[in-house]
Amino acid sequence: MTTDLEYSSFELMAVAGARELKDGEIVGVGLGLPVISSFLAKRTHAPNATILFELGVVDPEPLTVAVHGLSDPRIWYRAKIHTSFADMLGTVLHKGLIDVGFLGALEVDAYGNLNTTLLGDPKGKFRRFTGSGGGNDIASCARRTVVTIRHEARKLNEAVSFITSPGYLHGGDEREKSGLMGAPSRVITDKAIFDFDPQSKRMRLKSIHPNTTLEDVLDNMSFKPVIPDNLPVTEPPTAEQVRLIREEIDPENAYAGS
Amino acid sequence: MSKVSTLANAVASISPESHVALSGFATARCTMAFAHEVIRQGIKKLTVSQCVGAMDADILVGAGAVDRIVYGGGSRGRTGQHHCINRAIEQGTLATEEFSSLSMTFRYLAGSLGLPFIPIRSLNGSDILKDLEEKTPPLVGRLQDPFTGEEWLVLKPLIPDVAVIQVQVADEEGNAWILGPRWDNEEQVKASKRTIVITEQLVSTETIRRSPERTLVHGFRVSHVVHLPFSAHPSSVYGVYDFDHEHIDVFAKASKTPEGLKEYLDKYVYGVKDHWEYLDKVGGMKTLDELRADPILGY
Repeated sequence: MTTDLEYSSFELMAVAGARELKDGEIVGVGLGLPVISSFLAKRTHAPNATILFELGVVDPEPLTVAVHGLSDPRIWYRAKIHTSFADMLGTVLHKGLIDVGFLGALEVDAYGNLNTTLLGDPKGKFRRFTGSGGGNDIASCARRTVVTIRHEARKLNEAVSFITSPGYLHGGDEREKSGLMGAPSRVITDKAIFDFDPQSKRMRLKSIHPNTTLEDVLDNMSFKPVIPDNLPVTEPPTAEQVRLIREEIDPENAYAGS
Repeated sequence: MSKVSTLANAVASISPESHVALSGFATARCTMAFAHEVIRQGIKKLTVSQCVGAMDADILVGAGAVDRIVYGGGSRGRTGQHHCINRAIEQGTLATEEFSSLSMTFRYLAGSLGLPFIPIRSLNGSDILKDLEEKTPPLVGRLQDPFTGEEWLVLKPLIPDVAVIQVQVADEEGNAWILGPRWDNEEQVKASKRTIVITEQLVSTETIRRSPERTLVHGFRVSHVVHLPFSAHPSSVYGVYDFDHEHIDVFAKASKTPEGLKEYLDKYVYGVKDHWEYLDKVGGMKTLDELRADPILGY
């Protein structure tokens, strides 16, 4: 069994993200944990996945993931294709070919809407952050989106202060009626994994991580998710998955603390 | 016809209140030497556009050269936020038309094709769209698909007065190669009324003719060709030089406050007569040689 295996909550999240990717799928990736998840999936159960970076990079094999951002040429190394936004976000994403889009956020709400733009009152005093980049596009067009975010009460709110990237909007069939494609699929935190209730489209607990309690999960979020009768424990990483992350994908430990 | 020009002359061709599309993406192929010269010449009230905010737009905003930014958001990645842009937005001194990477690309694409509007799925349901719907004159609209009856969000095309594009290789007519990923640059060039090419290497047209499939910037769209090595420093130019981590840190720290930014501008922009003096000030040949890209790695 893997009960004696030590792993960080970051490694658990990265592995949970990797499991969302199926072999042969096309995945749109941002920097950070999604990079580790998608490279891990490619080295294990999804060798035929295609990894896209929005600025125009396909299937790179970087020597390091300790990089500045997507604009760092280290992360473009050994790509099969160097192209453009019009290609990646247009002819691939907007055409409906991206199976999984990975997204991060400052905050996520009960319906999977994401804010990466500002904190505070948008009409009054606020602090400005990154904005959309390709985030809104991925949330609008990818078949499934997987959100990774730290499990903190200030990050998991009933409503976000600014919808940069749409989830299920106010729930029900609002998203379907709004001209968007695809839908939010998972929210992965360092305490639990969520999916969405098929009717209300509210976030629903799918599993809670080992060494966490339901009470701890609920105490650290600012809204009440749907709680199913049967709540399993998240499958922990395998020894091989942890070894791949530590020795091959991120030997410099660039993301373990993030 | 040769369009080779000094940086000063190319910049002098930009009138105040122009709309300038810049080729930077975060910390890659930013039009830094161009931005510094715009600041030195005191050109103001610009509209600046790019898909993802980059260091070129950030320093121009910080120096007060920009009245309006049209972009899809952005940051310097792990080296932080664009402090000058974000501060100006927070203080309400910068007009913004904020989109997403794809909606910006589609706006350039519509401009490049001469289309009156372009439909898009992105932005629907978001507060980005809500903010855009409040703008006058309108930038977004709704239209019914005549074939399916489906309602679509449509965007207004973007037609910048000039695109300023940082490239690796160009000839004197402005036929240019962009190596590595090129984000929105091709659409920016084709949407704009004219283009200023800033190139690391100036080659003969014969060299261009031997690999014409690489020519992404068409010479006939270009008004000026500026040959200026390390003109994207401290950002990177794929295959030519890496970004200058230390100098990006210097800028990152300085730009956190208006006072810090002023000191930075006094030292590295106003305090030098041209790009060559700037290169000396940031460490000269020794620093620049260390940044040279490995031909296999590209950085």
